[in-house]
Amino acid sequence: MNQPLPAGGRSTRVAGAAARWVLGKIGGGLFVLWAVATAIFFGIRMIPGDPAEAIMGGPGSQASAEALAQARADYGLDAPLYVQYFSQLWRLSTGDLGTSYSLKTPVSEVLGELVPPTLVLAVLALLVAWALALVVAVLSTRSGALGSALASGLEIVSAAVPHFWLASVLIMLFATALGWLPPVSTNAPAGLVLPVATLALPLAGFLGQVMRDTLEAAHRSPFALSARARGESETGVLLRHSLRHAALPGIALSGWAFGSLLSGAVVVESIFARPGLGRSLLSAVTARDIPMVTGVALLSAGAYVVIMAFSDLAERLADPRMAGS
Amino acid sequence: MNNVRPLARRLFPAAFGLAAALVLAGCAPATTAPESGNDAGTPVAGGTLVYASGDAEPSCLDPHVGGNYPQALVSSQYLETLYTKDAEGKLIPWLAEDSTVSQDGLTRTLKIREGIKFTDGTALDAAAVKANFEHLLDPKTASSTGYLALGKIDSMKALDAATLELKLKSPDNSLLESFSMPWVAIESPTALKRSQEENCAAPVGTGPFKVESWKKQDAVNLVRNEDYVQPVATDGHEGAAYLDGITWRFIPEAATRYAALQAGEVQVIDNAQPDTIAAAIKLQTIKHLDAPRPGASNRIELNSSKAPFNDSKVREAFIHAVNVDAGIDSLFFGTAPRSYSPLSSVEPLAYSAEPLFAYDPAKAGELLDSAGWTERDSEGYRTKDGKRLSLVFPVSTSQSIPAEQSLFEQLQATAKESGIEIKINLLDLSSWYGELFKNDYNLVSAPYTKVGPSVLSILFHSDSTIPAPSGYFANLSQVKDPALDQLLDAAGSTADEAERKDKYAQAQKLVLEGHYLLPLYDQQNHFLYSEKLKNVGATTAVATPTFFDTWLAK
Repeated sequence: MNQPLPAGGRSTRVAGAAARWVLGKIGGGLFVLWAVATAIFFGIRMIPGDPAEAIMGGPGSQASAEALAQARADYGLDAPLYVQYFSQLWRLSTGDLGTSYSLKTPVSEVLGELVPPTLVLAVLALLVAWALALVVAVLSTRSGALGSALASGLEIVSAAVPHFWLASVLIMLFATALGWLPPVSTNAPAGLVLPVATLALPLAGFLGQVMRDTLEAAHRSPFALSARARGESETGVLLRHSLRHAALPGIALSGWAFGSLLSGAVVVESIFARPGLGRSLLSAVTARDIPMVTGVALLSAGAYVVIMAFSDLAERLADPRMAGS
Repeated sequence: MNNVRPLARRLFPAAFGLAAALVLAGCAPATTAPESGNDAGTPVAGGTLVYASGDAEPSCLDPHVGGNYPQALVSSQYLETLYTKDAEGKLIPWLAEDSTVSQDGLTRTLKIREGIKFTDGTALDAAAVKANFEHLLDPKTASSTGYLALGKIDSMKALDAATLELKLKSPDNSLLESFSMPWVAIESPTALKRSQEENCAAPVGTGPFKVESWKKQDAVNLVRNEDYVQPVATDGHEGAAYLDGITWRFIPEAATRYAALQAGEVQVIDNAQPDTIAAAIKLQTIKHLDAPRPGASNRIELNSSKAPFNDSKVREAFIHAVNVDAGIDSLFFGTAPRSYSPLSSVEPLAYSAEPLFAYDPAKAGELLDSAGWTERDSEGYRTKDGKRLSLVFPVSTSQSIPAEQSLFEQLQATAKESGIEIKINLLDLSSWYGELFKNDYNLVSAPYTKVGPSVLSILFHSDSTIPAPSGYFANLSQVKDPALDQLLDAAGSTADEAERKDKYAQAQKLVLEGHYLLPLYDQQNHFLYSEKLKNVGATTAVATPTFFDTWLAK
C-alpha cells in the first residue's frame, strides 16, 4: 500500500492504481456481502424451530397444519434448501430483500424507516467521541505528566466500560436522581443526550488514548521543533502540525469505530427504547425473522465496507505520503 | 399495599387463550374494583396517557392474526368482545345481548346488540360477527389462539340482522368464555376486507379508543373514539373516554421502564418485577395493580413419559424435596401468593390441595429409598443401578422472569440436599421449544392463559400429547389416563353447571394426586402506574387493563 512509485509515467500509473484500488474494494465488498448472506442463511436454520412458525407468531403458537402449510407456500419455505438458497441469492442480487416475517412489510421499507434514527445516533456519537478525545488529548499534552497520567486513566476506564452498565448509571444519575433528562428516548433533542453519551464515552476513551500518544510523539518530533524555531506559536504548532498527525490514527479507527457504534446501538437502542437498526436486529433474531436479520446484516456489512473505503481515502487525504500508493 | 383486585374471579369454561411467547392478557371490558382512595376527586377530561410495555412489539395490531398477550393488551383499548367479565368476575354479555343453546348442545344462538357502530361507521350486526368468525377460521388469517377457540364451530348462519346461529361439531360449554377473549374480538367487517397489512396496521373496532397511527419500533398512537357507546351500563361514566388518547410505547428494559415511570415520562408500565414492585409501593407517587391471568397457574410439570418420573414415587419425592415457599418468600417480596392448584386463583372452578405440597425432605428420602434410589455417588447424589438421579430442566428466559429463574435455582439447591440433581438450562424460546419437542426434559414450566377451566383439557388430556405439525404439544407432564380423559370430556360438554364443576374438580384432584405438577403461583401480571392517573383497575376477562374510566389529574 505504501510503496513509493517510480517517477516515470506517474499519472497513468496512479490512475491505474486507483482503478485497481476501486475494483478491489468493490470485489472485496461483494465477497463480504455474499459471505454474510450465506452465513446467515445457514446459521439461522441451525437454531431449532420452523421458520413457518416464526411467520405464524413464533413457536408454541399452536398454528394449525393448514395455516403452517399456507405460510410455507407463501414464503417459499417448502422448496429444497439449495433452491431456497439460490433463489434467495438471486433475489438479493436484484436488490429484493424480501418481506419481514414478523412485520409483514418489505424489509427495504422497514430499513428505510430505521436507518435514519440509527444513523443520527451513530454520527452524533462519533462526532462527540472525536470532540471529547481531541479536547482531552490537547489539554493533557499541554498540562504535563500529571495531566497526561490523569487523562490516560480516564480514557482507560471509559474505554473499558460496557454500554449497558454505563446506560444504567447515566439513567440513575441524570433521569432518576437529578431529573434533568428523560430516561427513554423521545422526539425532543433532550432524549438523544443519554443514548449518545452512552455510545460516545467508551469510544472517546479509546480514540483519545490513541490520539494522545500520537499527539505527544508529534509534539516532540523534529518538525514540531523546526516549526517552533520558525517562530510558530504552540497553538499554531498544535493546529497546523501535531493535530494532523494525531488525527491519522483517529481517522483510521473511525471505520472500525463506526462498526462498533452499530453493535453498540443494539444495546443502547434497547435500553433507551429508541427505534433503530440495532433494536430491530435484536427483535428479529429473537423472532427468527430471517429476512429482517439478513437485511440488517447486509446493510451493516455494506455500510462497513463503504466506511472502511472512505476512511482509507480520508487517510490518504490527511497524509499526502499515502496519496500515490 | 395498593393492590387493586382484578375483577375476574368467576370464569366459565372457555376455549383457548394460549398466549404463547410473550404472555400478557387482554380482552374486552370488565371492570375491576378500583382501590379506595384512588378515585378521589372529580374526573377531568383530557390528557394523553403514555403506556410503556415491556413486551415485544406485536407484529400485527389485529389479535385475530397469531394471537398473543401483547396483542391482547393493546387491542383491549380499541376492540371489544361479545362477552366479558364484570367487576365481580362474572361472565356477562357485552357486544352480544344474549345467547341460548339447544338441548343437544349442538346449536348455539347469539343475539347481537343493536345500535352499536364501529369507528369506521359500519354497523354491528349478526353478519359482522359472522364475518369475524370467518376471518378467524380462514387459514390465510393465520390465527392460532382465536382459531383454536372457535374450533368446534361447524357452520354459521345469520338468521336476521341481530341473530347468529352456530352449528357445533360437538357440544362446547366453554364457547361463551372463549368469546370473552381479545383474540376473538369483533372488528369492522368493512375494515377486515382490506389487505392483511392494512388491517394489521390499524384494526377497526367498537372500543373507547381507536388506532390513529403506528410507528413501528416506537409507539402505537390511540385517540379517543368520540362516538363511543358502552354496550352495557357500568358503575363508571357514560359517553366517550376521559383521556384524549393513549401512546402505547415499547420499552424492553425493566429498569428503563421503571425509570421512565418515576421521571413522569410514562404513566403506566407493565411486566413490573417483584423487586421493583416492592420498592414502588413504598412511594406515594406510584400505585400497583395486581391482575393475575386466568387459565392455568404457573407450575412445574413433571414429565411422566420417561425415567425417572415414570415412577410416581419419584415424582412425589421430588415435590417434597424442594422448598418452594422459602424461595417465593425471599424472591417475590409478597407479590406472588403460593398456589396449590392447576388453575389460576381467578378461576372459580379452581381446586386446591395444599396438603400434597409440603416441604418434607424426610418423606422425600423414604420415597426415594423405596423406589430403589438408595446408593449415593461421590457428589452425594442418589443413584440406582449406577445411574444418577438427575433431572433436566430447560427454562425459557423469555417466559420465566429473573425472579422465577432464581426460584428454580433455589429449588435446585434444596433438591440437592435430598440427593436429586437438577440441571437447569437457560434457553431462548426457540431452543426451549426445541428441547420440549425432542422430549428432552424432566421438568418444565410453561404459562398458559385462557378464560375458564377448559384449559385443563388442553394441558392434561391425552390428545394434547400428540404434537401439532409444528411439534408443539401442550400436555407437558404427558399424563395419559383414560379416566382423566373421560372426566375432561364430560366436564367440557355437559350443559349442567354443577356437573361441570364436579367433573373439573375431580380432574384437578386426579392430576394433583398423581404428582404430575408442582403449582407455584398465579401467572403474574403486575402493573405500576402514576398516582396522577385515577380510576385505574378495570380489566378484561384475560386481565388486560382498560382505560375507559381512567382520567389524568392535572
